Amino acid sequence: MELRRPASSPLVDNYVVPGDVVLDLSEMNNQTIKLGAGLRQECDTIQATSAGKLRQLKPNKYWIENSQKRYIPSVEDTVLGIVVDTKPDNFLVDIKGPNLAFLPVLSFEGGTRRNIPKFEIGTLIYARVVKANSIMNPELSCMDATGKAAEFGQLKDGYMFDTSTGMSRMLLSSPTCPVLEVLGKKLSFEIAVGLNGRVWVNAPAASTVILVSNAIMRSESLSGIKQRAMVENLLERLS
Amino acid sequence: MSAQAGPGTYSPAAAAGDRRRERKEELRRHLAEDADWPRADGRSFHDCRPAFMQTGPTTAASGSAYAEFGKTKVIVSVFGPRESKKAMMYSDVGRLNCNVSYTTFATPVRGQGADNKEYSSMLHKALEGAVMLHTFPKTTVDVFALVLESGGSDLPIIISCASLALADAGIMMYDLVTSVSVSCFRKNIIIDPTSDEEAWQDGSLVVAFMPARKEITQLTLTGEWSDGRITNAVELCMDACSKLGDILRDRLKDTATLTCE
Repeated sequence: MELRRPASSPLVDNYVVPGDVVLDLSEMNNQTIKLGAGLRQECDTIQATSAGKLRQLKPNKYWIENSQKRYIPSVEDTVLGIVVDTKPDNFLVDIKGPNLAFLPVLSFEGGTRRNIPKFEIGTLIYARVVKANSIMNPELSCMDATGKAAEFGQLKDGYMFDTSTGMSRMLLSSPTCPVLEVLGKKLSFEIAVGLNGRVWVNAPAASTVILVSNAIMRSESLSGIKQRAMVENLLERLS
Repeated sequence: MSAQAGPGTYSPAAAAGDRRRERKEELRRHLAEDADWPRADGRSFHDCRPAFMQTGPTTAASGSAYAEFGKTKVIVSVFGPRESKKAMMYSDVGRLNCNVSYTTFATPVRGQGADNKEYSSMLHKALEGAVMLHTFPKTTVDVFALVLESGGSDLPIIISCASLALADAGIMMYDLVTSVSVSCFRKNIIIDPTSDEEAWQDGSLVVAFMPARKEITQLTLTGEWSDGRITNAVELCMDACSKLGDILRDRLKDTATLTCE
């Protein structure tokens, strides 16, 4: 009987850099492996092409997770964009990607030619990426898959700041990240996190907005325990 | 009015110039004798200078790196991928735009660094083989290198530092690129020469190398070399590049570990 070893790399959850061999295919037989971002096949090996942590989703999905200042658009990502130009059919939106994204004027709930939304340049929009490939500009939509506005659309008031893509992933991770968990128990505020490394915070008091923003920005390089301690320290100063 | 130093006045510039002249004279004397000589910094012929590398010194850039090899100090910033200018023709593959500049105080003689105008194209040649340009069509990645202090072997350090900055920016690459130069003095081959040694060399060799793939992305040879010596020099460079590659890898991993703690 042929012994089948599951496709697993010893480097999973470890940091890899371009050129590192993460998987040797010669040791495997008849197994399908799905490669995500940052990996490529070369002969009988799978090699890393970008620096980051190697992740595996059992049984056979591999990708490299890294934290960058630039964002590479991906379908179904929720992003925070800034309107930079308006055209008859589209809004041009900056999502921190290689190219500006298109937001069609009809991609809003109940959008028709009669009720086209009017966004000024500089408007902050929470949207969903519906099309993304390297040779075309990405396309956004302010509706969910069912055609409802859900939480998408213009974000008014509040304060927007930039973080890395890794930080925004951490804020959206499940279970809730320690910073938001501790802040949420003590303060009341609204937050929108885009996977493109933008965060929008709104609260009734300006002091709350400042505290939440600072806590999030400081927490990027801290572990869970240190994050809790830092937030509690900030809250003590506020009270 | 002439600002001439009086008899009891100490002029640092003059003192530094005297020291430099003494070192050059000593080197010339050793070369005339055609014997092994102690290098000014105490290294053997096949020893590189102590290296310090760091990622992320420039906050505004997508990725950045700082490198210090002996007295040579370089900072590289990477911006992009960002949309190519409208004037540029459509391209299925991305563009890599490299620019190398020197600070006015980088060299002992003010503005001397401007002589190395070809460094930008040499940096481009060394990196384009390693960067996966097809992964960002219609866009441009800008690499700006600034030499803060020139202490010899500038180009290899710029290449290694730029490679580290590209990895920090998350640009897709086949492998990291490391680079080392050697100088030839009659029968001797010395690795990682200082600016004083470069001034007296008979020939120089710069190798840019991808350590994991064992591929050379650029090889620049100048001066007088014999076939056997070229082979030895290339092997010496490749060995040094592999070791430097390990340093670059460790540097990237250390940075990631520090960020996660």
